[in-house]
Amino acid sequence: MPLIGQLALALALVLAAYSIIANVIGARASIPSLTGSARHALWAMCAMVTVAVGALWTSLLHSDFSLEYVASYTSFSLPTVYKITALWGGQQGSLLFWTWLLTIFTSIVAFQNRRRNSEIAPYALAVLAGLAIFFLGMLNFVTRPFDLLAVVPSDGQDLNPLLQNYWMAIHPPSLYTGYVSASVPFAFGVGALIAGRLDDSWIRSTRRWAIFSWFFLTLGNLFGARWAYEVLGWGGYWAWDPVENAAFMPWLVMTAYLHSVMIQERKDMLKVWNLVLIGMAFGLTLFGTFITRSGVISSVHSFTQSGLGPYFLTFLITIVVLYTGLLLSRVKQLRTPAEFESYLSREAAFLFNNLVLVGIAFAVFWGTLFPVLSEAVRGVKITVGPPFFDKVNAPLALALIFLMGVGPLIAWRRSSFDSLAKTFASPAIFGVTTGIFAFVAGLREWYVLTALSLAAFVLGTIVVEFRRGVTARRHMVSESVPVAIVNLIGKNNRRYGGYVIHIGVVLAFTGIVASAFFKTEVKQSVKQGDSFQVGPYDLEYLGIDTSETPHLESIRARVEVRKNGKPIAMMEPAKLFYKRLQQPATAVAIRSTPASDLYVVLAGIDDQSGLATFQVFLTPLVFWLWAGGLIMALGTVIVMWPNVRERAVIAAAVRASAPFEDDAEIVPGGD
Amino acid sequence: MPKRLRFAIGAGLIVAAIGYLIVTAVRNTAEYYLTVNEVKVRQGELAGQMLRVAGRVAPGSIAWNPVTLTLSFGLAQPPAADQPGVKPVAINVTGATVFHVICRGQPKPDMFAANRDVIVEGSLAADGTIEARQVLTSCPSKYVPKQPAQTQ
Repeated sequence: MPLIGQLALALALVLAAYSIIANVIGARASIPSLTGSARHALWAMCAMVTVAVGALWTSLLHSDFSLEYVASYTSFSLPTVYKITALWGGQQGSLLFWTWLLTIFTSIVAFQNRRRNSEIAPYALAVLAGLAIFFLGMLNFVTRPFDLLAVVPSDGQDLNPLLQNYWMAIHPPSLYTGYVSASVPFAFGVGALIAGRLDDSWIRSTRRWAIFSWFFLTLGNLFGARWAYEVLGWGGYWAWDPVENAAFMPWLVMTAYLHSVMIQERKDMLKVWNLVLIGMAFGLTLFGTFITRSGVISSVHSFTQSGLGPYFLTFLITIVVLYTGLLLSRVKQLRTPAEFESYLSREAAFLFNNLVLVGIAFAVFWGTLFPVLSEAVRGVKITVGPPFFDKVNAPLALALIFLMGVGPLIAWRRSSFDSLAKTFASPAIFGVTTGIFAFVAGLREWYVLTALSLAAFVLGTIVVEFRRGVTARRHMVSESVPVAIVNLIGKNNRRYGGYVIHIGVVLAFTGIVASAFFKTEVKQSVKQGDSFQVGPYDLEYLGIDTSETPHLESIRARVEVRKNGKPIAMMEPAKLFYKRLQQPATAVAIRSTPASDLYVVLAGIDDQSGLATFQVFLTPLVFWLWAGGLIMALGTVIVMWPNVRERAVIAAAVRASAPFEDDAEIVPGGD
Repeated sequence: MPKRLRFAIGAGLIVAAIGYLIVTAVRNTAEYYLTVNEVKVRQGELAGQMLRVAGRVAPGSIAWNPVTLTLSFGLAQPPAADQPGVKPVAINVTGATVFHVICRGQPKPDMFAANRDVIVEGSLAADGTIEARQVLTSCPSKYVPKQPAQTQ
């Protein structure tokens, strides 16, 4: 197996190199048979990497400890599902997994564009193959997944207990999928620049890829946060650790990109800006990989680094330099006569939304790199922790939410104060009323009041939009309201899917604000049979259960939760002990309701006195962060859903072998 | 005023506002991030300040009270051969500079053990004790050292 895998990776490298040469020469000299051959080489490359992945999976499942990788990250007693996920549990495997995704996506792109985009696609595929060469080079020469051990151990080291969790089974693949698919629009941007096809065909051809990438970046961040919440046991879900920031920054820039391309598609503006954004988004995915693996910035998640840092940095700098040069060489041809007419226009709202999103990304970038920068400039390492990120991002988040309400409804080109008043009167009143209600209910933090008002304002604008659409439909056809809503979304999935995403953002934002401001913490040591109070709940410590499997031992505390004297739940926070690693781990118990989460940690047990110490967090509305995240994902699925009209347009475009033309509803909202 | 210029000014104002936010936030939240030896050298001037100190848990120094949730241990400078980027070697901390760390009211981190690398967030008292707000342990994440057993 190891030999097969090693061989397959070597062949994949050769095929990638060939496909670059064939693609570039084929495109320059317009030889379709050569670009066709390059396409076949890419498919063969993908097949080879698939063989390598299959080989590593087989070795993992068979616990073949002659492989260093298998021995380092698994053990005999590891549950099968974690033997499978161990593919991305370690350095070499995760790089192989990354490469696998890249070659799969490259193959799909090659297939999609076999009869269209003949100018740009060969260059874009050459770029993707170039990325594959870097990763395959690493896998062949630097960090080899199929290296053998001189002495075969009797058992492996086992997977880190923090990773033996179902969120860890789905979080890395989601994030990697988001990272890797961002390279497709980037590659098309490069292709457009090289080929000189500077219209928006590169954007239209990769619109779905960009949304697909955003979808998985969203889920990746969400699952990562959820993992931190359930596994790390400190009651929170986000600590502005460099590793988290590395996943968050591409998401921010991709969000900016998805919005600003609408302006280019509709108004032929911001051409350079869009190319800059996709370059940044892609660069940040590499940067994220670099900082998590290089150790340049110390992170709680990756103390122990690998020697891959310099390679990634060199690769990243090379790409940034080449891309900037390419962009500068085309900048004159990218100028457009169109310009902004008025601050009170949708273009302006989108522009400001972009500035704020990129501003947040920059602040996160700055804070993440601050220790390195301060050491370089002042000779002393200074860090900025979570308070920095909270301080900077809190006001920017408010600005963003406000623009989210304004952007989709304000008119193109220019809007008058009268029409603004008409459009925004009821949402604004709703927002202010919500704020007043919250104030009367006893909330005094100005930030929370503003946040709630703005959240209500945005929901109000979305309701207005839906009502307008439903009314219009019911004028034409007789439908019940629910049917009209479904049809409205179905017929205009891009626009109304976008609104669904916005609803999700507002809910998630509300959950974040509430959990940041109103989390309470109680620490209590109790004897068996004693109880203590947390908010409206009484918690009684009933006792300890111990159990043991070949893989781990667990000590489980039974805690009965009562409200108004009535038992409502039995919670079992636990301490686990992983035998192979000789490593303890905490298992948190969470009782989640839409109103609040009760989060119980078994902090310690004193053997002599029999006292158990619990740390309990009561976090309001945090439920809505997860719910909002899933609604965002649902909205994205609606946006990506192929609609009949669009398919017809694509078919027509293919027949005419013209560049892909999209339907008219590219941008939410009409004129 | 030309429209382009007007928009450049608007965008410039936003950028300036973001820059201002970053600068003031840095000023208010910056903390020194130092190694044990660096703290030792500048101990006098650092007293009373919030710090982040990277070091290694000295073996035989750990005391943990599970009832009061009080963790105390000695924080030592890791040997020079063992800096980031180099594969961990099994060297025990001996005879290096040690600060006494006390962390109250937090559960003991799962990864906490003798000879583990930790980051201590807290303030340095005049007597050289670090009153920790938080003790962050290495969560080796995906990139576990090749032989984690050696470091125990």
